[in-house]
Amino acid sequence: MLRFTGKLRLRLSSCTLLGLALVGCGPLPVPSGLVYCSEGNPESFNPQTVTSGTTIDATSHQIYNRLIDDNPYTGEFIPALATSWHVSKDGLNYDFELRHGVNFQDRPYFHPTRQFNADDVVFSFERIIDKNNPFHFVSRTGYPFFESIGFEKLIKRVVKLDSDKVRFELNYPDASFMANMATDFAVILSKEYADQLQASGHMSDIDSKAVGTGPFMLVDYVKNEYIRFRRHPGYWGTIPSADQLVFDITPRSTIRLSKLIVGDCSISALPKAGELPVVAAHENLTLESQPGMNVAYWAFNTRKPPLDNIKVRQALAYAIDKQNLLRAVYQDTAVEASGILPPSSWAYTGTALDYQYNPQKARDLLKQAGIRNLSIDIWAMPVARIYNPNSQKTAELIQADLAAVGVRANIVSYDWSVFTRKLSSSNYDSVLIGWSADNSDPDNFYTPLLSCGSVASKSNRSNWCNAQYDKLINRAKVITDKGERTELYRQAEEVIDAEVPLVPLAYAKRMLLKHTDAPPILLMPFGGIGFNDMGNKGQQ
Amino acid sequence: MANYLIRRLNLFIATSLLLIGILFYATHLFPVDLGYALSGIQYPTDAQEAQIIEDYRLDKGSVRQFLAYTGERLSGNLGVSVTSKRPISEELLLALPASFELAFVAGLIALVFGVPLGVIAALTHHSALKKFIMAGTLTGYSIPVFWLGLTLALWFGVKLGWLPISGQINLLYEIRPVTGFMLLDTLLSDSPYRIAAFRDALLHIILPAVTLAVLPFTVVVRITRAAMVNVMGQTYIRAAEARGLPYSKIVLRHALPNALIPLLKHIGLMLGPFASYAIVVEVIFSWPGIGSWLVSGIYQRDYTVIQSGILAVALLIVFSSILIEVLYTLANPLSRKEFYGSN
Amino acid sequence: MAQTKIYLDDAIPSPAMKVWRVFASKPQALAGLWGVGMLLLLTLVGHYLAPFAAEFQDPDALLLPPSWNSNGTVEHFLGTDDLGRDIFSRLLYGVQLTFGTAVAIVSSALVVGVIIGSISGMMSGLKSSILGHLLDALLSIPSLLMAILVVAVTGPGLSNVFWAVGISLTPQFVRAIHQTVHEELQKEYVTAARLDGANALQIFWYVIMPNVWETVIIQTTLAVSAAILDIAALGFLNLGAQAPQPEWGTMVLQGLDSFLTAPWTVTIPGLAILLSVLSVNLVGDGLRSALTPMRN
Repeated sequence: MLRFTGKLRLRLSSCTLLGLALVGCGPLPVPSGLVYCSEGNPESFNPQTVTSGTTIDATSHQIYNRLIDDNPYTGEFIPALATSWHVSKDGLNYDFELRHGVNFQDRPYFHPTRQFNADDVVFSFERIIDKNNPFHFVSRTGYPFFESIGFEKLIKRVVKLDSDKVRFELNYPDASFMANMATDFAVILSKEYADQLQASGHMSDIDSKAVGTGPFMLVDYVKNEYIRFRRHPGYWGTIPSADQLVFDITPRSTIRLSKLIVGDCSISALPKAGELPVVAAHENLTLESQPGMNVAYWAFNTRKPPLDNIKVRQALAYAIDKQNLLRAVYQDTAVEASGILPPSSWAYTGTALDYQYNPQKARDLLKQAGIRNLSIDIWAMPVARIYNPNSQKTAELIQADLAAVGVRANIVSYDWSVFTRKLSSSNYDSVLIGWSADNSDPDNFYTPLLSCGSVASKSNRSNWCNAQYDKLINRAKVITDKGERTELYRQAEEVIDAEVPLVPLAYAKRMLLKHTDAPPILLMPFGGIGFNDMGNKGQQ
Repeated sequence: MANYLIRRLNLFIATSLLLIGILFYATHLFPVDLGYALSGIQYPTDAQEAQIIEDYRLDKGSVRQFLAYTGERLSGNLGVSVTSKRPISEELLLALPASFELAFVAGLIALVFGVPLGVIAALTHHSALKKFIMAGTLTGYSIPVFWLGLTLALWFGVKLGWLPISGQINLLYEIRPVTGFMLLDTLLSDSPYRIAAFRDALLHIILPAVTLAVLPFTVVVRITRAAMVNVMGQTYIRAAEARGLPYSKIVLRHALPNALIPLLKHIGLMLGPFASYAIVVEVIFSWPGIGSWLVSGIYQRDYTVIQSGILAVALLIVFSSILIEVLYTLANPLSRKEFYGSN
Repeated sequence: MAQTKIYLDDAIPSPAMKVWRVFASKPQALAGLWGVGMLLLLTLVGHYLAPFAAEFQDPDALLLPPSWNSNGTVEHFLGTDDLGRDIFSRLLYGVQLTFGTAVAIVSSALVVGVIIGSISGMMSGLKSSILGHLLDALLSIPSLLMAILVVAVTGPGLSNVFWAVGISLTPQFVRAIHQTVHEELQKEYVTAARLDGANALQIFWYVIMPNVWETVIIQTTLAVSAAILDIAALGFLNLGAQAPQPEWGTMVLQGLDSFLTAPWTVTIPGLAILLSVLSVNLVGDGLRSALTPMRN
């Protein structure tokens, strides 16, 4: 049962205010539960089909489970739906032993008759890699994460060995395979539910009326308003103590903070740096923060003139004052980025050459490139993300910096759903965006962000494809020695530095605001938020 | 009389058709595929595609298309929302009552406080009080509503911590919509928390309703005052005074009812600005009504939401203003010449 | 030779003079007039008076409070916003965007409204009735909804605000003028003029028009205040002027991010809107009460 001092204060004073309000006074009893002020609408209720953190937060750790989880501190894998696993010598076969007694959620639209087994695992991954699977094309957005890491090419097939044993056969060894199985995207769906939907012809419901094995089940979703979850009574792990979990969708961060102060929510996502003094001033609020595995960057569309000209890209990189940007946008909640890999990764070297703020050099480079009166569009995300709490403001700062070197910048912004839709059409000059890692493997930065394969899957916002770079990161993927991999990634950073497909801006801290008496939340450097993870992670 | 009502009904139908026509035209101008703009289905399957063409007669001329469009919209097929994939009519029915609730409470506040204050402003001999009231209403009339809302939220919500500033109710109370009016639904629900939920809903509506009430309140005060001054100068009031009736009775029984008639007319004129204000207020206080639904619709470029939201609000305004006009005519014998038609 | 006045002849003031006298006798109306005059002046020269450029960012002065606060500086008289931009300068630049645009929109709507309103007012019968219905339909779409429709078609921006607010204001002018012309047309002095042999154009211009101006003036002041509020509301909803334009409503929206730590970023632009609308309304109020005795 959650009740807060702020809430109590509210009752008392509203009693004086509404003394005559027909209903008497005294503290209001509130049903047991947890309200989380989240920043936006989920695009889907299946994380396989998206890359957006908002959707991950709302689904991955609430409705679903993965085969394995990733311990953020040790980098080890811990059992989830798989209790143990075995890798063949050649690194081509991964066998997973599955957990017994795992129940799927019982919903009004689906009543499970059996428990979780190998069929569910096979279905969940075949859907992604097999174009002949009836559910493959049900996702209109594809499977962006899996496409960006070349999952289809990697997996030869997924085999059911027996009802509680599954084998993944790989075409070639991949050091990041286990890490990718632990990402928030690799969730397990119900095969039985899929069959039922196929029989009834409502196949697209699989991604909206979600059924999983996770600690909370989806009850109700009203767009722009809320998502309501109820605890899953048959959950295999520690059953959540809260009856309900409600995501209160509140896009504006000031309003989220206000709601937190007033007591309408007990945990609130993505505070802006400027609001932290307010949090400090309220003694019943705390800030949870954690260096994040993320990077904010400014990507140039390298296929669109004049940004296909490397001199122009370099000039723009020299033109922006990152220090000023860090101060105004992040205040003390981020460090300046030197490359795309953040310092919390084991492969971080920090040796990449950096473009220091130098407007004169920028002007010279532009002159050399023979470009005058350059005018470019900067697309800025409308919502706060972990890696950038305020893209609009970032864009305005960059706009002013560019004006100083004679470049006109035009800021373009849409609501998040429209923004991602329009970005996919690749008709932009440059975009302020970022990446928040899903697992602890450094490949999770290099491959999805800049590899040639990720151009098609749209996670490479620079549309940049460089043979040398691809060779380096592909080599790094097949070897397991951390030292060797680190060296290869360092060389990859050098290629990026020379070619400037993007300008890395900042590595931001991950932050969450909560009431002091709200239950503790495990804030991981990467991945989505989970409201029941304390129990599980503590146990295993 | 019947003739008069039929003419008003005709007016309503004609205006509605024109409105639909305007929207139909605008739909063609939306920068997306026409079928998508009409149905809200972004990636239709072949069967859906055929259905859309069939429904909206997209293979026919524009007159047939318009008739089909009108038919679909009036029969309640408003398409689906591209963001939530749910039928628009369903979302609309969820959002409308919340807006009515807010508008109703705001209107009530405006009348309950506005009419007496208008009467006082008309009758008082304190010129300072009169000036104060008039200056106050003029300021209220000039305040940008979004700024007022934000300021109230800052003070009463965040600084003082008295009132919640967002939403309709604490989301932990799970209230099943029956009437759609949260205040009623909480009382009708069988949850053990119903009284607490009702009080919570009551606290939630205070700030948005007060913010929204400011515009109608100032108008009510000013119109009531002007009408009262006018009525009190009439000869029948002097006659009543001469008969020795008590002052309070003169004011309440003889003057006020007549002064309220022009008020009715002005309420009708005020509906448009009131709706604009309501949209802004709903956005500021995240009130889950049609205004915030519509504004997120435009942010999300949800074209079916935009069309139906505008259609619903505009039709409501047309309908209410005609209704108020009819009531006004019924209440005001002087305007009954309208019954017989002239102009 | 000095001329001495033998007769105390009362100079009969012109109607305009009479209106002015009544108007000027009210201090609040005069104050409003001063305010409007200032705003008009600032629309033209605000740019030159601003100490900083509207988009100039001072990285060493982020979220500086106004000068009367102990942490404020005189340099940034009304403080700075979260990008270190001088709020006072932005307000001065913003006069043109908020007030200037409002005046421009109202002027255009006025011209269109007077033309259509007069023509339709002189007409009668079916055509007039159709026009009336069309206007009613347009009038029933509140300005904000009209703006949403326009934005849906063309995307947000100040130029679209021009169309949106313009389209929703014009019918008001048309209707007001249509009605006045229509009413005047029934009056006896018009019949008298017609009997004198005046043609329609003469009747319209010399007989009716002088009596329509009052309606026009009152309607204009109402429209200007409504237009300012609409422009600002659209800016606030991010459907009108876009950041970093220093439109006042947009400034409020941008200030919202630092509302809890630096409330002045919201309060000051909001006050600017309030004071402008108040000035216009004071002038409108004064004019209305000055014109009313003449009308009766």
